[in-house]
Amino acid sequence: MTQKKNKVLLVGWDSADWKVIDKLMAKGLMPSIKSIVDNGVRGKIATLDPPLSPMLWTSMATGVRPFKHGVLGFVEHDGAGGVRPVSSHSRKVKAIWNMLTMEGLKSNVVGWWPSNPVESINGCMVSNLFQQEKNGKETIDVEDWDVPEGAVFPERLIERLKELRVHPSEISGNLVMPFVPNAIALDKKKDKRLTVICKFLAHASTIHAAATEILETEPWDFMAVYHDALDHFSHAFMKFYPPKMEGMEEESYELFKEVVIGAYVFHDMMLGRLLAMVDDDTTVVVVSDHGFHSDHLRPTHVPQVPSGPAIEHAPYGMFAARGPGIKKGERIYGASILDVTPTLLSLFDLPIGRDMDGKPLLEIYENPKEIKYIDSWENNTNFGGELVVKSKGDKSTNEAAMQQLIDLGYIDDLNLDTESEDPTESLNLILKENNFYLAKSFANGGKYDEALEILLEIENKKKPDFRHLVDIVSCALKTKRFQLAEEYLKYIRTNKIASDNYVDVMEAKVNIGLNMPDQAMKFLKKAEKNQPDTTEILMELGTLLNNLFETKKARECFEKVVKTDVDNAYAQYGIGISYLREENYEEALEYFLNAIDRNYYYPLAHFHLGETLALMKEYDAAIGTFELVRTMSPELLKIYRWLLDLYSIKEDRVNIKKYEEIISKYHLGEKIIITGLPGRKIEKVLSELAKLGLEIGGDPTDILGGKIEVLDKDWFSKINEKIIYVPINYIASLSAKYSFRILYINDELDTVIDDTHKKIKRKNNTFDADLIEMYSKHERVARTWMSHQPNLDILYINNYKELSSLIVSKFLN
Amino acid sequence: MKSTKKTKVISIVLDGKPFEVPPGGTLGLLALGNIGIRAWKKSKAEWLKNKENDTEEK
Repeated sequence: MTQKKNKVLLVGWDSADWKVIDKLMAKGLMPSIKSIVDNGVRGKIATLDPPLSPMLWTSMATGVRPFKHGVLGFVEHDGAGGVRPVSSHSRKVKAIWNMLTMEGLKSNVVGWWPSNPVESINGCMVSNLFQQEKNGKETIDVEDWDVPEGAVFPERLIERLKELRVHPSEISGNLVMPFVPNAIALDKKKDKRLTVICKFLAHASTIHAAATEILETEPWDFMAVYHDALDHFSHAFMKFYPPKMEGMEEESYELFKEVVIGAYVFHDMMLGRLLAMVDDDTTVVVVSDHGFHSDHLRPTHVPQVPSGPAIEHAPYGMFAARGPGIKKGERIYGASILDVTPTLLSLFDLPIGRDMDGKPLLEIYENPKEIKYIDSWENNTNFGGELVVKSKGDKSTNEAAMQQLIDLGYIDDLNLDTESEDPTESLNLILKENNFYLAKSFANGGKYDEALEILLEIENKKKPDFRHLVDIVSCALKTKRFQLAEEYLKYIRTNKIASDNYVDVMEAKVNIGLNMPDQAMKFLKKAEKNQPDTTEILMELGTLLNNLFETKKARECFEKVVKTDVDNAYAQYGIGISYLREENYEEALEYFLNAIDRNYYYPLAHFHLGETLALMKEYDAAIGTFELVRTMSPELLKIYRWLLDLYSIKEDRVNIKKYEEIISKYHLGEKIIITGLPGRKIEKVLSELAKLGLEIGGDPTDILGGKIEVLDKDWFSKINEKIIYVPINYIASLSAKYSFRILYINDELDTVIDDTHKKIKRKNNTFDADLIEMYSKHERVARTWMSHQPNLDILYINNYKELSSLIVSKFLN
Repeated sequence: MKSTKKTKVISIVLDGKPFEVPPGGTLGLLALGNIGIRAWKKSKAEWLKNKENDTEEK
């Protein structure tokens, strides 16, 4: 007999954000979610780009990115020359409820966006159009209000659920009062803001009523309920949420400052009811698809472009879970919305598809969980449920849902009612917009080539779209197509499509990519002069200055960012890097901890914290930190070097063996590097080594590194010789895939300057401040970098005569 | 003016205690889901019926 599986209840709150929830929990206003947090785990959950809800909730239900699942944007082609709200027709892969159906488990799914038409799964489905009360632009009277086609499965539930719906006209003044205590001062019929509260409340209540009815009367193993209301409430009223935004009119602020609070409290009340209906053996998961800016990061205006309101979305949503076998009162880190389906499958002890983009959140479990994998859930031809409606859907329902999206600002008004409107043009606009989202999804998944191909196809210089052009530039930069990036930046600047400052920052990035830091600096300085306190400019400038070891100036940039946004983890990290490069470990430690405190899932901050601890000889703490980085970002190869180094110091043989084995898997061998300031001494050393019959890789005649192909990331890997000359300014770009022995030739700066002058035929004793500054910096950077690396042995020599010494001979062999 | 004559009070039991359902509804009733909305709609229908009867009597 198979053991009874525990049930799983998944509650989706669109755009729920911990910043608001934490404040309300502290005031005792959200006891239901607090009970989950206290008795389970909580964490931030990373969204995807673009942060558009139908794409995100489909990723959540499938475990794959939008370019795999096919749901793109808010509307889609209806297959008959028209457009309709995005539907389940677009989804190309199985959702969790299809997988559970294939396994004989019962799923009840209510309100998921998009889920119309519903599917004939093993269980019940109520679609996201069930609560719709519009007929095109007109509101249907409550007496004539039918359930749209394809909104409920099985059909036997329609009559029962129909009577549980709440029409916006049924929402009376006393129901609005908790949201707008002084609603009496407003005319409900005239003030649209009260009308939308009634509508959002009616829709949320309808979804909740259907969910509770099904929960109470239908068998289930998995139940999913999705509410879009928090997102709608937040887009309409977050601007009134305390503290008052600058420029907000006092009267409106006072009237509507409680709306968002009321919306969150109401969702908690609904959650309380759901919790009361499930037993203690049920795992409950509450999740949002993205966060919502509720503080000083609230934008002051929303761009007038399709999906413009998404600018208000914050990159991290909320995740909370409680149930048997789940940790209590703990935090989890590093969750993504892609992880939800793999985690649900793990809760049912079902295998995870290797083709899924997400991972199971194993940190939620009290005890280690054994995870099973299959190649793909798609290999089985049984889909686990068929769409109950094959047609393009009811015209009026589609138009009503489209109108709601127009009202929310997510799509442009395409004048769908106008018979004379050219339908081909509307359709083309929709397809173009969806292709743009497809490109963004590719870029978000690191597939920049695919993204660029689509962007270049949809871009139209006759009707330029700022969003397409900036993404072309970004993808061109990521794929190192610097010429293409420059071409588009020139076009953007000439046609004034974006601000000069934006172009300057992007030009700086091009120049950084071209290894032309001085040019990059000029652009950033210009941008900074025009807009001195812009976070993006300051961050770019600070990062560049840190890379140039101009640490004090870098710190000034990051400190300005921190002054306006103390929670900017990246600026805190930048300050930490500046101190680390100055070998001021105490200060560096503090700022890396600050960064981690604000964004725990920040592998680079943990990595540099580990380095700092190691350099402070806090070996145990450093080991603990690097072990953590290993779980967060196993592709950072240098952590294995550090761990091997640290375990060697601790003489921990078991771990030494473990990390030697790991390193041997990616290790490409050992290289001997000759480097030093580009003067006479190093030239002599190189020629003496050649006389000894040693083959020297790199180009020993290229003493200043001018011939190195800076655009080729793998220039070093292409050199086969064991001994390689690396110009001093390229030392810091050595790959962690090798271990190194560095023979460093000490030379006097004055002599090297003289030697350089001779080469460029200038008189000796000419004071060249720029050259002195450049060589000093190269030497400082190289020496600091070398002192921080776990995978090198360094031998310093003063002249070529030492090559014959035993110690050097041994070192070179 | 609100009718009190012949008003039949609809109540539901919450945590073992009867809860009177006002015809105008409450946020708590909406949050109760199916049982709350059924009780509210029933209460509202009763209230409307009584109101109609009152008007007819007058």
